[in-house]
Amino acid sequence: MVKNLKWVAFLLLALGFGAFVFSQKPPSQRKYPDRIEVRFWHRWGGEWAKVVADIAERYNQSQTKYEVVPLSIPGSGADSKLTLGIIGGNPPDVMSMWNGAIPSLASNGLLTPLEEVMPPEDQTRFMNDSYPVIRDSGRFDGKTYGVTIGSDLYALYVNEEHLKELGLNVEDFPKTLEGVCELGNRLNKTDANGNLTRLGFLLNSFSFVAYNFGPGFYDPASDSLTLNSAENLRALEFITEERRKIGFERVTRFQAGLNTGSDTGGWPFITGDLSITIDGQWRVEEIRKYRPDMKYRVIPIPPPATNGRAKGGTISGNFMVIPTSAKQKEGAWDFIRFWSGFADKEASARCFNDGGWLPLFPDLVETKTFQAWLKQGPEFQGFIDILSSENCLPMPPVPYLQFLNDQIGRAEDQAVRGTLSPKAALEKLRYTVAEEQRKRKSLGYEE
Amino acid sequence: MKPGRKNNLTGYLFIAPWLIGFFVFTFVPFLQSIYLSFTRYNIITPPKWVGFANYQMLLTQDELFWKSALVTVKFAVIHVPLAVVVGVCLALLLNREVKGIAAYRTIFFLPSIVPTVATSVVFLWILNPTTGLINNLLRNFGIQGPAWLNDPFWAFWALVIMSLWGVGGSMVIYLAGLKDIPIHLYEAAIIDGASPAKRLRHVTLPMLSPVIFFNLVMGVIGAFQYFTQAFVMTPNGGPQDSTLFYSLYLFNRAWKYYDMGYASAMAWILFLIVVTLTAIVFRSQKKWVHYG
Repeated sequence: MVKNLKWVAFLLLALGFGAFVFSQKPPSQRKYPDRIEVRFWHRWGGEWAKVVADIAERYNQSQTKYEVVPLSIPGSGADSKLTLGIIGGNPPDVMSMWNGAIPSLASNGLLTPLEEVMPPEDQTRFMNDSYPVIRDSGRFDGKTYGVTIGSDLYALYVNEEHLKELGLNVEDFPKTLEGVCELGNRLNKTDANGNLTRLGFLLNSFSFVAYNFGPGFYDPASDSLTLNSAENLRALEFITEERRKIGFERVTRFQAGLNTGSDTGGWPFITGDLSITIDGQWRVEEIRKYRPDMKYRVIPIPPPATNGRAKGGTISGNFMVIPTSAKQKEGAWDFIRFWSGFADKEASARCFNDGGWLPLFPDLVETKTFQAWLKQGPEFQGFIDILSSENCLPMPPVPYLQFLNDQIGRAEDQAVRGTLSPKAALEKLRYTVAEEQRKRKSLGYEE
Repeated sequence: MKPGRKNNLTGYLFIAPWLIGFFVFTFVPFLQSIYLSFTRYNIITPPKWVGFANYQMLLTQDELFWKSALVTVKFAVIHVPLAVVVGVCLALLLNREVKGIAAYRTIFFLPSIVPTVATSVVFLWILNPTTGLINNLLRNFGIQGPAWLNDPFWAFWALVIMSLWGVGGSMVIYLAGLKDIPIHLYEAAIIDGASPAKRLRHVTLPMLSPVIFFNLVMGVIGAFQYFTQAFVMTPNGGPQDSTLFYSLYLFNRAWKYYDMGYASAMAWILFLIVVTLTAIVFRSQKKWVHYG
């Protein structure tokens, strides 16, 4: 009898505990519960997530119909989480996605063509007034799937103090890539064992630098990839040779000890470990935040001495996408309008300035807000200049872009390590991608 | 209802939560993946039948498939015997009756219960060529340590070394096996004049062989599914694909390139390899496993 009572008591306790746990509702994230909820997923974490939350809150305060509820999904698996959200029938209404993932997601039917939600006047503004390279980076197969809320571009950051050690001024900065590499070698510092303690300049990022040598990896006229073009070969040979001069092993060891985190104030350029480096425009804001007294300049990567392209580059960054099964597409587009500059330009400029991101429209740069911000970080102008360049081109619009980018990175790695010659690495790149295309065709994909 | 049946029903009801979970989340997807491996499938649109195309491309056109298979086989060949030897040696050491042995056992077992991702992040620091623990130690002896995860040769070995970190799990099983060996066998061997080495060779190891067999089977399966550490430490497969493990490539194909049909075909090839190897190990047990 006592034994039975113990069992009943245990069962009741377990049931009571279960009922308590399952009755607990998660704390509501809603601040305006009467409004229509717009679920917004983004990939920023830490300090950046606060910036994004502030922007969402400003949007919420700017109108009374919608409430954007941001959710941070940081990490490399954001696109697979989006996919799972869509499959599970519970996708966000709008998501900030790396533009490289757009072709793959769009070709798989996961994204809404934004023409479906854009009013005609927005479509006109988008097509006519935006920076072409940013606009086209969100397009695939003739349709718009992503609108930027912050594009990224790369240029040279130059430490003026380090130049002064050599008796140079930034006005004397070389006008050719060869000159920059030579200067970088003079700026290198080593310890007694020959290990690098400061890296003057390292030319890397083949996927970006290639645009300083030629039109990159895609020919829009023939709608085909140009992976092993003569220009790309020159670019890869140049990168390989410069890496060989400094020493592959030496650079690898030096880089492994550097802080690569973002927005931590420990960026090696800020700490003086790098004299000249290729990096993105968001670092301007980072320097302003952590080393406002730092003397530096932003300079577009100069072209090689012969047959180069000034202000060449390509765009990456965060683009707003709306999943096909999103429940609140109108609200999603209204939020995109607010941030990207279709509505209040001053409010939009503030959004871009908060994160140090490149805007969608040139006229946002002319706003009072943007101009006031530029005065605090004038080096940002260097990036805007590149953005207007005809040599700044979008990435190839192919549905297997992630695969392609991985293979381009692989080719660079093989060449700089000396496993393959640059020519062989590019030929292998062409072959591997051709095989992938063949595979896709035999599986019935259109491209 | 007969009492026997009633008892069975009660038993099934008790294990029903697990049975349902297994059926829904393991068995059905397992069967479904057979079908998917013969399709082009990107999760969103319905699968499209392509016959043996995925298998044909894997085996004839995909260089990375063979590379990843080779990396995994190499890892299994090195890691599995190494883990058995290290596990048995540790268990033998921790089977001795010395003061504080319980604490030693706990210390050696602890790493195996630390989450793999946390361990991997710690090892990222330990293996850093400039600021890492290992190279700093080597520097004290005037040795410049390797670039570890940045070096195609050492990246693989770094993961092999790291895989031994969790050997404490199997060590506990070996230890339990050692405790089960009847003491009278050792007494008889000592009376017969057997040296410690001979007692190890002719008493301990044969009596421990069922446990070694169990760990060997689990080790082979685990080695072919090696993923988390490689994913956290070298997500792109390491320098020159030196740590592109089969499961890592499979994951990238599935979740990076949305090639679920292809990934399913890869999974089935892996399954067949693991089943074949396990069957070989099972067949070999007659020759070396002694069940008392």
